Amino acid sequence: MMADLVLRDRFFKKYHGQEIENCIQCGTCTGSCPLAPYMDYGPRQLFAMVREGDMTEALNANTMWFCVSCYNCVVKCPRGISITDHMYSLKKMAAEIGIKPPKMLHLYQSFNAPVEKHGRLTDVAAMAGYSLRHPGAAFRNMPLGVKLAAKKRLEFKPRPVDNITGFKKVMEKAKEIERLS
Amino acid sequence: MKYGFFPGCSYKGAAGYKESTEAVSQLLGIELVEIKDWNCCGATSYWSTQSLEAYVLPARIMALAEKQEFSEIVNVCNACYSTLRKAHEKLTQDSDLKQKVNLALAEEGLTYSGNLKIRHFMEVIVNDLKADDIKKHIKKDLSGLVVAPYYGCQLNRPWADIDDAYYPVLMDRLIEIVGAKPLKNYSAKTECCGAAHMVAHKDFCIPLNNRIIKDAVSKGAQSICTLCPLCQLNVDSSQQGLGLPKMPVIFFTQLMGLAFGFSEKDLMLNKLLTPFKMAV
Ligand code: SF4
Ligand code: SF4
Ligand code: SF4
Ligand code: SF4
Repeated sequence: MMADLVLRDRFFKKYHGQEIENCIQCGTCTGSCPLAPYMDYGPRQLFAMVREGDMTEALNANTMWFCVSCYNCVVKCPRGISITDHMYSLKKMAAEIGIKPPKMLHLYQSFNAPVEKHGRLTDVAAMAGYSLRHPGAAFRNMPLGVKLAAKKRLEFKPRPVDNITGFKKVMEKAKEIERLS
Repeated sequence: MKYGFFPGCSYKGAAGYKESTEAVSQLLGIELVEIKDWNCCGATSYWSTQSLEAYVLPARIMALAEKQEFSEIVNVCNACYSTLRKAHEKLTQDSDLKQKVNLALAEEGLTYSGNLKIRHFMEVIVNDLKADDIKKHIKKDLSGLVVAPYYGCQLNRPWADIDDAYYPVLMDRLIEIVGAKPLKNYSAKTECCGAAHMVAHKDFCIPLNNRIIKDAVSKGAQSICTLCPLCQLNVDSSQQGLGLPKMPVIFFTQLMGLAFGFSEKDLMLNKLLTPFKMAV
């Protein structure tokens, strides 16, 4: 499909994905990935699909969302491909084309929001944001929350960076530059 | 010895990490000076969602450190270490990206030049001090204690330069220096704990942690030693229902503190979910 090729081109150029052309499909990445059993496709297969141009299928796979950035694959890849970085790029592209948001995207958004606001994160702020969308998770994680609270290990008050105005200006500028590029 | 210190967001809430780090560094004469005005590094969450901001966050921390005249940044979290190092390496290689980052930082009068080194506190202790400088503070005999050194993933991967990517030994050495016994052949020492996926996908993270704990239990460790707040939290909190004996998961700074004669209370060992008692 035309749209697929445009997407592939975007992945290759804007996201520096072209190096996956060097992939020899040896499967070392998938073999060393602790989360491969839960993925729709292992990294090897995902890259094959991207190369063939089946971007719609690739961007709707759960593969990159299950990547935990353990870098097992990167250390072992015989072609020196930065597999983990491509997982990040594919997550960003999947969000751009508006896939049905996986849980991990909600988690990232819940993490980023307090960072944008205060420059720093508290676990409570991140968890609260996530729980609004996944009340079940809040419930499952409750025993841990209660235990941590009992040990006085949860921080409820955000601790903003000192120069929060400056911080926000910097982040605003970064967004602007990103929009223009 | 003086270093710029980046605590990161999870340091303060981590069970006794702050208390033990302060106690140990003071005794050893390592001055960890907090980088003023630091922000969150963004970590995997920003790498996964933002292209430029993911670099601006760590670059701001590094620019602040440069402005405050530090030549080295010491981290106590694997994810912080990895994020700063990754940003540092990419920005040194990509001048176009560096220019964009500096354009954003200029809003606050900051510049990132890249003239600094990113380090982890554990590695600083082992590499910058002589073993005898550590040993001379030992007050308590830990020779009966077998400790499994758990490194997690992001300290040595993908770099594999300060230590091996899969079978690092620096913390093993530290455990030995303070008089305890590092668990031999601990093959799960760099297995992944699942990181933040624990929140959304607990079901597939539990088996990962099971392996980390089971390997330590079955080979005869009495405790697991960590160097990252998130690793610590995951391995400590996933023990319920595994059917294995409970294994205290402590920070390397707490182990050092014990050897140096600090009390369990000073080191806040009571804050661990599985409490550590010396009479193991
Ligand atoms: S390890 Fe590298 S070369 Fe082998 S399949 Fe994976 S990406 Fe391709
Ligand atoms: S970095 Fe991601 S893809 Fe690579 S082995 Fe780890 S989880 Fe799998
Ligand atoms: S690694 Fe996590 S906790 Fe540490 S500063 Fe970065 S985001 Fe905050
Ligand atoms: S073990 Fe877990 S928390 Fe530790 S570095 Fe790896 S993924 Fe991060």
